[in-house]
Amino acid sequence: MIRSRLSNAPGTLRGRDRTRSALPFLALSLALGLGACATRPDPRDAEAVAEFRANNDPLEPLNRGAFFVNEGLDTLVLRPAAEMYRIFLPPEVRTAIRNVLANLRTPVILANDLLQGETQRAATTTGRFLVNTTIGIGGIFDRAKDFGLIGHTEDFGQTLAVWGAPEGPYLFIPVLGPSSPRDVVGFAGDVAMNPLTYTGNAETWEAINITRTTTTALDAREGLIEPLDQVRATSLDPYATIRSAYRQRRLVEIRNAPTGAAATSDSGLGSGIQGLRR
Amino acid sequence: MTAIDRSPARSTAQSLARRPLILGAIGLLGLTRGAQAQQMDINRASAFIQSTGQELVAAINMDGPVPARRDRVGAILRRAVDVEGVGRFILGRWWRTANAQQQQEYLRLFEEVLIRNLSSRFGEYQGLTFSLGRSQARTEEDVLVSTIVERAGTPAFGLDWRVAEIDGQPKIVDVIAEGTSLRLTTRSEYSSVITRNGNNVQALLGAMRQQIGQLAAREGA
Repeated sequence: MIRSRLSNAPGTLRGRDRTRSALPFLALSLALGLGACATRPDPRDAEAVAEFRANNDPLEPLNRGAFFVNEGLDTLVLRPAAEMYRIFLPPEVRTAIRNVLANLRTPVILANDLLQGETQRAATTTGRFLVNTTIGIGGIFDRAKDFGLIGHTEDFGQTLAVWGAPEGPYLFIPVLGPSSPRDVVGFAGDVAMNPLTYTGNAETWEAINITRTTTTALDAREGLIEPLDQVRATSLDPYATIRSAYRQRRLVEIRNAPTGAAATSDSGLGSGIQGLRR
Repeated sequence: MTAIDRSPARSTAQSLARRPLILGAIGLLGLTRGAQAQQMDINRASAFIQSTGQELVAAINMDGPVPARRDRVGAILRRAVDVEGVGRFILGRWWRTANAQQQQEYLRLFEEVLIRNLSSRFGEYQGLTFSLGRSQARTEEDVLVSTIVERAGTPAFGLDWRVAEIDGQPKIVDVIAEGTSLRLTTRSEYSSVITRNGNNVQALLGAMRQQIGQLAAREGA
């Protein structure tokens, strides 16, 4: 079964719910993007041109549209769902769920550690999986931390960056959040790398995968309640703030730079749904 | 620090025929920079962040009405933060297009936004503790002091402080939360507001005034 799914894996990501929801937006982005481009600054104004290049957001009008749609969706559906998740589940249970999800993501993190040539981090990832799956009872408890094996995350978007792939223009995708062509490809790559993608169409597995995806989204959004509320309350232009924060955050993640407590929590502004950094 | 100490620039300059001119230019750069920011001592920066952080936490957790606590926090920030330097950095290229009156108004509003942003969230910050992480020097001019902020029920998060020596005193020039720099993010935000309003600095000032009003309403004071 695994082999049959593997053989047509790269082309048939449509089988995966998260990617499925992203594809129409991408197609729409491409179609509309050709017609809606940001106004270029006066070429004589060197500083304005430099800023335009740094923002690297030629599809800004379109992205702002997507951002507006996302704000509506978020206010009506996503944030309330995350609130419910927080209200109905005690913190201990939420932490357990987060740990299990992070543990399930191990193959993706390990593959990316290796693809980036980070053998030390790959060893940490492997050690964490072994300890947490056994002593941590299927990943419910993060016991590896007690052995000095601190969790980290990796994704294929970061691997592509390490390999020297350019980021491409800024993209804002409803539900998934701030992104770039490199991170979109990376996202698809991560789905393709995840063994759970190839579990087949049996109803049980479908149910498990849908539950995993939904819970991942809820967990990520729950962790972002305060940061996003704060951006909305204090920023004069939340779109620009999130664009800048996303870029800075991604740079730190790509460099694997230890910034104080980089591994302790997640801004979530990485590549949309994947808040599994603890 | 003299221009001669800046060895990478010096070695390049030596190999060039127009050395005096380049050295002169570098010297001038060194002088202007030297007047604003000197080499910062790591231990001094860490001690400064530790004491300032403790003062802030104490002020936030102080008994008494919000306005009194806000005044206290405001006083600490005015002393510890290079408000003018940070404000100018954030306004960036628009600083020069603003007239003197707009510049002054902007700095005044910027300081108030800074204080109000903090004071409107006093409730969330109750019972917060923080501890020093490892420190590391980043550039010639400033030191990055890392701290871990903790509060019961929420995951710990990393907050890094960029400390520079301004006129002989250590001052905070940036706060970096989980790798995201406050001054870079705000510069992007403010520039976007100005650009989207026909390159008009006055529009930013209006938006800032409105924001202060909203923050004030939120904290009911």
